[in-house]
Amino acid sequence: MSEKKVYIIPCSGIGKVFGSIGRKTAYIVVNELAKDKTTLECLPLIVKGKKEVIEALKENKVIALDGCPLKCSYNDLMKAVGKVDTHFLTTDIVKENRDLKPEPSIIPVGENTKQLSIKLAEKVAAEVDKLLKENMERDD
Amino acid sequence: MKKKVGIIACSGEKLVGGTLSRAAARIVVEKLRPNNTIILCQPLFMAGGLERHGGQQERDFAKNHPTITIEGCEEECAKIAVDKYSGKPATTIYIQEIAEMYPELKPKSREDLGEDGMKLAEIIAEEIAKKVDELFQSK
Repeated sequence: MSEKKVYIIPCSGIGKVFGSIGRKTAYIVVNELAKDKTTLECLPLIVKGKKEVIEALKENKVIALDGCPLKCSYNDLMKAVGKVDTHFLTTDIVKENRDLKPEPSIIPVGENTKQLSIKLAEKVAAEVDKLLKENMERDD
Repeated sequence: MKKKVGIIACSGEKLVGGTLSRAAARIVVEKLRPNNTIILCQPLFMAGGLERHGGQQERDFAKNHPTITIEGCEEECAKIAVDKYSGKPATTIYIQEIAEMYPELKPKSREDLGEDGMKLAEIIAEEIAKKVDELFQSK
């Protein structure tokens, strides 16, 4: 059995801080919380239709992280790959943590933005474990 | 009223070139040419026609205004997107070409450009700003 990974695909938005939360969250998950279980891919490359990337996404679980209700990551993945296993909106973590108002700065991001990203990353990492467990149960 | 130039960065998360493209785009739009430029979001651009208003507004803007695409790698994702939906971009900036001219400036990582990486992003942004000026002069 080939080792399965979960692909984390943030929306790549650069207009507002909510896209930055998604990007920062993805890096925390891939570099720290679920380091050996996850990988990143560029959304623009997926949208472009790079064949080997699309195939890899079809064979693995995919989590989309979006920064606004337009859901570019989710919609673009559905169009290019035909599935998304789990979807998160960064605005939800902001609503759940009213005391941590994200700073508008995108480069660099502010301290509240970092804290929100850590909180969302913890949720995403938990979902990664759930998705990989589903994979194992299916393979058994 | 003067037309604006649309800046479309590839913004890819996997490579440091994507991070540089994103940082350079923000520097141009926020600091160097705030009155003459606007950021167009690449993934939204590609999601045109989907639920709600998608990226159709971005595509229409790029049809009616000059655009500069910024490419973090050789895949040319931003340029291909603009070509496909709105016509040829006015100019394409290749991060790698500029980075090779400044080998002493090594970005720390894709997650954090560090001091060198931010200096490189500023240089790339200056190059983009020059192209913006050229586009305005040619009108």
